[in-house]
Amino acid sequence: MDWQSLWLTIRLAALVAASLFLIALPIAYWITYSRWRWKFLAEAVVALPIVLPPTVLGFYLLVALGPRSPLGHLWQALTGHSLVFTFQGLVVGSIIYSLPFAVQPFAASFAAVDSRLIAASATLGASKLRTFLEIVMPLSVSGMVAGVVLSFAHTLGEFGVVLMIGGNIPGVTRTVSIDIYDQVQALNYSSASITAIVLLAISFGLLAFVYALNRKVLAVWLWK
Amino acid sequence: MKAKLSALHREADHSKPCIFSFHIRKRFEAAKASFELNVSADIRRGVTIVFGPSGAGKTTLLECIAGLLTPNSGRIGVADRILFDSSSRVSVDVRHRRIGYVFQDLALFPHLTVEKNVGYGIRGLAVGDRERKIADVLESFRIANLRHRKPGEISGGERQRVALARSLVTDPCVLLLDEPLAALDATTKAKLIDDLRCWNEAHGIPILYVTHSREEVFALGDRVLMLDAGKIIAEGTPDAVMRR
Repeated sequence: MDWQSLWLTIRLAALVAASLFLIALPIAYWITYSRWRWKFLAEAVVALPIVLPPTVLGFYLLVALGPRSPLGHLWQALTGHSLVFTFQGLVVGSIIYSLPFAVQPFAASFAAVDSRLIAASATLGASKLRTFLEIVMPLSVSGMVAGVVLSFAHTLGEFGVVLMIGGNIPGVTRTVSIDIYDQVQALNYSSASITAIVLLAISFGLLAFVYALNRKVLAVWLWK
Repeated sequence: MKAKLSALHREADHSKPCIFSFHIRKRFEAAKASFELNVSADIRRGVTIVFGPSGAGKTTLLECIAGLLTPNSGRIGVADRILFDSSSRVSVDVRHRRIGYVFQDLALFPHLTVEKNVGYGIRGLAVGDRERKIADVLESFRIANLRHRKPGEISGGERQRVALARSLVTDPCVLLLDEPLAALDATTKAKLIDDLRCWNEAHGIPILYVTHSREEVFALGDRVLMLDAGKIIAEGTPDAVMRR
């Protein structure tokens, strides 16, 4: 069992989940409440990572974050090193890869808030921001927790994107899934099996948590 | 009740005649059907009942007045304030209209306590004033004992009182009630009608009360607007209109 890879993966997943909470909130809000007629195009872009092969997404991210791209060039000028094959690059790539797993549960839970409550808040003089913070967000807690947990779980198990933009550098970009791949390549099945079981147990636990939330088993508890 | 309500609304200025008027034209187009609301009325202090069958446009009328829907054309004014005027392109935002609105399903915030629901609309007041107003209105509507409960933990009649208290604590210029008593039993309904009458004697603002219950028309109304297919087909006293 490579504890270094596990710790790196957990750090990566936690950073991605926390960043996505902040990034997905305004996107989900806009998707839920915007009346822009071309909104479906933006929704499709956000959902792309769900259907796109990870290697394709990884390839585009490799090009977009590489030192020859404007973003990669800017990053290199600011930090002195490239964004690809670094932990920071993994975070950026994973945020994009897991974006729909946060945005979609957030948007679904915002849309489920009774529009009468939002209207009532407006007639009582509350601004849109106050209505969002005090009415919409508290009533969407289960959807938001589900989004954050799914982003975390999705990042834990990612392989193709990580390999494309991070490579396999121990302690820097080698995640648990890459470690399992390495162990299998080296015919070290017992070590791969232990790591796979740990990943399976964590993923099962997280998904069970999300389903419990959806069945309101935990939502009732969260409201208290 | 009367003394308490008078005290609660002691800040209200009753010296000016409060006339609320509207001329609203709102059209909805759909693939197979269209609907047009085209109504005008001057509403004085007291309870004006908007009576009519389902689909007559009663809720649409209230939503236009509150600012939740924008009329295609028309004018809405309270005393000397213009809330909407299509000719001069004035449309005061719903948040600044100072119109109390009790929704048909009450729309109480389920995650907030009764006290926080009632205080939601007066967040801008100083803490002391705010607490005093909340305490007064909770006592007036006999719900002070429920202040720490959430809407899901109280009865339908109590929720109704909370919704009324939440709207009235903001000192609205006009109160809009969308079939607020529809789901209540006869006894609870009678008590609430009595409380609403008392409150309005103390406060005296124009109230538009939407209903399709004849019983509520006679129990509450000073005046009735009968609405059908988006138009006012009769107006006058309850006796005169309901005899038609």
